[in-house]
Amino acid sequence: MPESALDRAETLLDSSGRDANRPEPNRLDVRVDPKDLLTAVASLMDARWGYLSAITGLDNDSQLEALYHFCSGADIVTLRASTDRADASLPSVCRLIPSAGVFERELSELFGIDIQDAPDTSRLLLPDDWPLDVFPLRKDTDVSNVPSVPVLSQPSEKNRFVVPIGPQHPALKEPGHFEFTADGEVVTAASLRLGYAHRGIEKATESRSWIQDLYLLERVCGICSHVHALAYSLGAERLAGVTAPPRAQAIRELVSEMERIHSHLLWLGVTAHEAGFESLFMYTWRDRETIMQLVEDLTGNRVNYSANVLGGVKIDIDAARAHALLNGVDFLEQRTRHYLEEVGGDETFLRRTRHIGIMSAHDAEVLGVVGPSARASGVLRDIRAEAPYAAYLQFPVEPVLRHTGDLEARVLARVLELFESYRVIRELLDNLPAGPLVARMPRRIRAGETISRVEAPRGELFYFLKSNGSEHPERIKIRTPTLCNMSSALHLTVGRYLADVPMLLAGVDPCFSCNDRSVHLNVAGDTWTWQQLSQHAREFYA
Amino acid sequence: MTAQLVALLVVPGGAFVLVCGLVYEWLDRKLVARFQNRVGPRWFQPAADVVKLLAKEEIVPSGANALILNALPLVALASVLTAALYVPMAGLSTAWSFNGDLIVVLYLLSLVSVCVGLAGVTTRDRFAIEGAGRVFTQVFAYEAPWLAALLGPAVAASSWNIADVAAHANGQWLVVTQPIGFIVAIVGLIGKLELAPLDAPEAETELVAGSLTEYSGRGLAMFRLAKDATFVVGLALIAAFFLGGAADIVSWLLKTVALLVIIALVQALFARTRIDQTVALWWRIGVWLAVLQLLAIGILHQVGL
Repeated sequence: MPESALDRAETLLDSSGRDANRPEPNRLDVRVDPKDLLTAVASLMDARWGYLSAITGLDNDSQLEALYHFCSGADIVTLRASTDRADASLPSVCRLIPSAGVFERELSELFGIDIQDAPDTSRLLLPDDWPLDVFPLRKDTDVSNVPSVPVLSQPSEKNRFVVPIGPQHPALKEPGHFEFTADGEVVTAASLRLGYAHRGIEKATESRSWIQDLYLLERVCGICSHVHALAYSLGAERLAGVTAPPRAQAIRELVSEMERIHSHLLWLGVTAHEAGFESLFMYTWRDRETIMQLVEDLTGNRVNYSANVLGGVKIDIDAARAHALLNGVDFLEQRTRHYLEEVGGDETFLRRTRHIGIMSAHDAEVLGVVGPSARASGVLRDIRAEAPYAAYLQFPVEPVLRHTGDLEARVLARVLELFESYRVIRELLDNLPAGPLVARMPRRIRAGETISRVEAPRGELFYFLKSNGSEHPERIKIRTPTLCNMSSALHLTVGRYLADVPMLLAGVDPCFSCNDRSVHLNVAGDTWTWQQLSQHAREFYA
Repeated sequence: MTAQLVALLVVPGGAFVLVCGLVYEWLDRKLVARFQNRVGPRWFQPAADVVKLLAKEEIVPSGANALILNALPLVALASVLTAALYVPMAGLSTAWSFNGDLIVVLYLLSLVSVCVGLAGVTTRDRFAIEGAGRVFTQVFAYEAPWLAALLGPAVAASSWNIADVAAHANGQWLVVTQPIGFIVAIVGLIGKLELAPLDAPEAETELVAGSLTEYSGRGLAMFRLAKDATFVVGLALIAAFFLGGAADIVSWLLKTVALLVIIALVQALFARTRIDQTVALWWRIGVWLAVLQLLAIGILHQVGL
């Protein structure tokens, strides 16, 4: 029997780790001492074993634990480093994995683990007026009553011409704040601040039941709501030892691909808009309505489809719906062919995309890029193919790879992916398995940990779920694809023209509501009525 | 005296140019909207925008010189309205005329762009300053070829007087003999008006509204009117020079609207060019084509064809 990837990892980690065990067939957990963490990470990286997918923080009473999840195909190696709660600190792995910076900043802000030698310690997610010693995801932190601290104004730097983009800016209809230092038309530095739309969802899941959390997590994102519910359902089902029936899994895949179609069409329009190509923007969004209508007909909703329940799905497809869906897919395929000609042939558009923002395969790997952005650089990262979930094993998709790594490749990768989605939707509808839609799910889920990864339209979506055997989950960690891709986008803008910045940012398809979900900010300690809110606004601006 | 005042304030200058500008702006917006599968504005929307802006509070950003801030839109509007008096409008002969007025009109039209650029610098806003840099860059890019393109018909007519050139061009479609000049003039007008795809100076996805980001109320209304008036004057000039003249109101309307449709199509068809691409477009291609055209006309003119 050939040596599996997990065996190889176990050998690699033999000297630095201890207590290696396999909680699930595709997972290897290894305990490491904080002082051995860098050695362990280096031995994995030197052997090019996978990539750092996420860092999960856990609060185990006297100890705080950080879980470094490395993924390679379907296999996951988790390095578990514990540190004393009173004096929590871990070494930074940024020297080995530059893309780990955002994960470490998240960990240190939310859990209060001091990251030694971190290259960037500025705030990423928490509000500016959040106290420095309140760490929201520690179990003993009561987030309902966090005092506000005065915001220190930062000394302005001289001789720098900074162009701020966001949190309110026409380039970005989403709340992120970027600062680009410009020398004439050329960007010389870039920085990022997130957290303007924090809702504290990770914390909130811990006080809700497994069933309530499904509906909460579906609201993480307004574009890819289904994949969040799907990743959560698959994880919770695995913990409970339940498998959803085949028909449910097929319908889950079907809705996933419908969601991908609407997300990619939306993205194409946004990119065209950033390029000042308003006609393409208007046409793609008009045609996107076709798939939105179909999703609404199928699920009753346009944004939060609510297709999943724990143990299966709550929607079914009859012949009439299937027929309408096939017709819609035919129409969209024909339109997409037109857009493919447009983005691949229009001279003015190509001048804004070809050879712009080139990210080599090596860069993409080092920067931890996932999803279509990685595939446009020739790096195969597609959970649907690498670690098939739901019905992707029976109805596989062929990942679309491009190799030039420029904006054009990122556009083409997504547009070509649409054809794959159309194909698989037809296949699903033709071969939909018969049978029940839901498997019975227990109310309490037995204690354990699992990792659930699905391919969101923007790339790998990572869920870590921990159950303590009660009705409430112990910990749910969400790592969205945008967090991985954002740092690469910033990296690409330096040295480019200011005019390319919006397109480069849009090129990774950032989704801010996915990013901003970790913190709970409670202004008055209770719910405000509409009247109170408008009263507050009037007084605030008076 | 009365006739002169009417010419100055009502027709063909003053009110007529402003009203016509608003109507043409609406037509342009409506056409682009329809090309893009949108509904587009109602017919009175541009006028409603102006009225609304006039009623709005005027904000003077801190650090800006209020006098200059308020004067710039006035200068812009005044210069384009002055330019309109020397251009044949609505099938009427030009209100005023002197030898060399073509050069003066071209400079007055440039003054609008210069005022927009200065407005950006005056407001001391980052987006406005970045936008102003682009406005001036773009002015330097298109101005020379545009001038060369409009000088073509003048050379052919052996006159620097717009009325004379228009009279000479009347009945002969110079677009046939000077196609390059015609194209350069159209694209130059698009650049002058900062319309897509040459709208880098006010690219909203990068610079919010470019130079005019900080303008509100009266100043913004005035700048918009100035741009609308420039649109009309530019269209009238090109129609008179290249499209066989516009000696009566019907042909004036038909020809300017036909040009407007072309410009609207161009706006809907292309992605925005980056400012460096705009400059490259003009100085690598546009200017040489325009100079070639001018040389050809000059030589042909000298040998007496």
